Amino acid sequence: MENIIPRRIYDFLKAYPPFSLLPDDLLLKVSQRVLVQYYQPRQEIFHQGDQPGTHIFIVREGAVQLYRETESEAFLVEQCDEGDVFGIRPMLAEETYALTARAAEETLLYAINIEGFREVMEAHPQVAFYLASNYAAGVGQKYKTANPSQLFLDRSDRTTDNFALMEVQSLERSKLPVTCPPETTIQEAALIMSAEEVGSIIVVNPSGQPVGIMTDKDLRHKVATGKMELTASISDIMSSPVITMPPTVTVADVQMEMVKNRINHICLTEDGTTDSRVVGALSEHDLMVMQGNNPAILIREIRRCKAVEALRDIRDRAEQLLKKYIFQEVSIAFISTVMTEINDEIIVRCIELAEADLASEGQQHPGAKYCWLALGSEGRGEQLLRTDQDNALVFEDVPEDAYERTKNYYLDFAGRVTHLLNEVGFEYCPADMMASNPSWCLSLSEWKQQFSTWIHKPEPKAVMFCTIFFDFRPIHGDRSLSSALTTHIFEALDDQEIFLVYLGKNALQNPPPLTFFRNFVVESSGAHKDEFDIKARAMMPLADAARLLVLHARVGMINNTFRRFERLAELEPQNRELYEQAADAYEILMRYRALQGLKKQNSGRYFNPSDLTKMERINLRNCFRPIKELQSLLNTRFRLALLS
Amino acid sequence: MFRWFKKKPPPPDPNAPAFWKAYLESMAATAYDKKTPIEEIGFVVFDTETTGLDVQEDQILSIGAVRVKNWQISVEDRLECYIHQEYYPDGKTVAVHGILPGEKRHSIAESEGVRRFLEFVGGDVLVAHHAAFDVAMLNAAIHAAGGGKLQNTVLDTGVLARRAARNPQLARPGTFGLDHLCDTYRIPQSDRHTAPGDAFITALLLLKLLHRLQKRGVDTLGALRSAPGMGL
Repeated sequence: MENIIPRRIYDFLKAYPPFSLLPDDLLLKVSQRVLVQYYQPRQEIFHQGDQPGTHIFIVREGAVQLYRETESEAFLVEQCDEGDVFGIRPMLAEETYALTARAAEETLLYAINIEGFREVMEAHPQVAFYLASNYAAGVGQKYKTANPSQLFLDRSDRTTDNFALMEVQSLERSKLPVTCPPETTIQEAALIMSAEEVGSIIVVNPSGQPVGIMTDKDLRHKVATGKMELTASISDIMSSPVITMPPTVTVADVQMEMVKNRINHICLTEDGTTDSRVVGALSEHDLMVMQGNNPAILIREIRRCKAVEALRDIRDRAEQLLKKYIFQEVSIAFISTVMTEINDEIIVRCIELAEADLASEGQQHPGAKYCWLALGSEGRGEQLLRTDQDNALVFEDVPEDAYERTKNYYLDFAGRVTHLLNEVGFEYCPADMMASNPSWCLSLSEWKQQFSTWIHKPEPKAVMFCTIFFDFRPIHGDRSLSSALTTHIFEALDDQEIFLVYLGKNALQNPPPLTFFRNFVVESSGAHKDEFDIKARAMMPLADAARLLVLHARVGMINNTFRRFERLAELEPQNRELYEQAADAYEILMRYRALQGLKKQNSGRYFNPSDLTKMERINLRNCFRPIKELQSLLNTRFRLALLS
Repeated sequence: MFRWFKKKPPPPDPNAPAFWKAYLESMAATAYDKKTPIEEIGFVVFDTETTGLDVQEDQILSIGAVRVKNWQISVEDRLECYIHQEYYPDGKTVAVHGILPGEKRHSIAESEGVRRFLEFVGGDVLVAHHAAFDVAMLNAAIHAAGGGKLQNTVLDTGVLARRAARNPQLARPGTFGLDHLCDTYRIPQSDRHTAPGDAFITALLLLKLLHRLQKRGVDTLGALRSAPGMGL
């Protein structure tokens, strides 16, 4: 056997991204050109401001610390352990090193020459995307066009976000078709597909009629295997003729056609033949998303449900649906819409069951209208797994003599609803933030008073309540009551802008950790911890920042954290990139939390870093960057430093 | 420049084969002396696999070598060769390295192996684990090919490890064997008992030993070669 030494290098590299993304023969070639470098503890590898080197590095053994140096201090930015790649700036941008790298202990590095590796990147765009997203923000824009969250946790098409939950009878919506002319090369077409994030591309003639289709499968079977060159024309590998259907077909029709032809993609044309223009494309995945495990059926069952046990059973089935969505990498926006819809229907059904109980016991309805409010994560429409319930109730103002009777009625009612929810699996809130608590079952005036008090006397406890209560969302009852409350809050804020400073201070309480290192979470202070609290250390900081920023902008009625960031991106174009990254980060965090929760059958809140793969660690760590940047934005905008 | 440690060059032999003349020339052109700092020394770390342990009887089956210079190993700058031997005195070593007698795949004649090795080594410092045996095996093979004895400075990682250890006199037997040293210095041991695999492992070991010795002021070729316990 020859090449024993390069094979050893190869055996190591193939376990770690981005090298794991390369085909074997190419990786072996890369391995043959590696330099094995030895560094002593504290020895510098490169210095901030140095001209870019000729190699990128992967830690073979030991540890490397990356510092950002100022005139007086050096801040630890990252700590790399076995398998971590660093120093990739020379690869991506003709710029000097932005950080200083130093061996933290006795260290062996594999240095990979960037000459030659650049071509590898051109031929394997996923490697470039991986490196770009693994890389600190602020790189040249060259490789940043792809959504950084896309590659590893492939959020599926955003076009699926808007599918209503009703059973899809007719396919009114389909994706805008991604097309190219027949003379396109395979590589160009593949680049279009990855830029557009689609699994197929339709080849059209100049009049827009379909002449062929190329799918991911063709790329895998005909190109990746080496049967066909990247420079060949797409016409050489496309499937032709294309199976077409008119845009008016139903899901069932499309499924039949796919099964009949053993294909995964259907092209929609104006009249359903190949002689008219392409108007859309559908994949099997699209159909899956549209139909779901059928959330519509679950919701219909919830509405018909007579007993709470059955509700619990339906919610268990919804969890199966969640699992399927998560593993099929359906977009979090879509998943949370479906799960929120299901949760809301369950709450409504529990409310109806409680009302029926009260009526059957002959309890007299007090006449005053009410509105049931969801708080916290359910209020934000982000509750994927069943966590503790947080809710409140607001009832119409009533004459003084009717107050006690009204309040007692609604307390009794709320107690029954929270009991039923507990039976379904939404456990009681340990802090008693529930409508059954007399403090959180109030008339509209009392609620207004309560919010005013919090806003005017922002003690730590008040601020803590605000982070939960400000995310209220009406679930059932008279929605004018909840809008009156929103209006009141905005008015109160106008007189008391300083309140936002307190909220801001609270939002900065939990900076994200620096990174993961071996089996530890590394704090910015350098301290090591065993456990990562994804809620407190990554999700709440983002949710808090989003809430504060929309309150500041007086944007009501958007509770969802990533939608809040999307709205903020529209309002503040100068911070657009940051807000979009924050929205992406939040979706990734939600996905990881749901995955973890499904795996461990719990709330998914706590991670042991040793449970995470290298890729997962990098994904999570990449979420910390926008959080840190957001916190620094809050700090500037609300002059929080003054307050501390 | 006075090269205090070099053996006196043998008298030029006009009938010596070309490979040997070329080797002697590159030996003469190499300018290491006792003050040469570690960073500037080219170390050729090598290993041979043989048919057995008898220098008179046994023969080389493969040679693996990598160069260590300035705390770096370039994977490209390596030697991996497999030698075709008809004569095979003892069947029991087959299991160790998996090279069967008469196996011709990718293998070359012994004289060609010797030529490639000398060309690769030039005047650099040779390093091996328990180097005396490998050097003796190579000298026998070079002799058979018409050359003389290796002229290079030779270092033994076994000896260096003993010097790097805190209390070598307290060490148990086996402490300075390659397997044991790999454990001590956390060097993963895949491909043990192939010549290139062992050469690579020994090179990693050399890097770690050099660092430890350098911390104690052993930072030149002269200091590396000096007693106690110099290899050859």
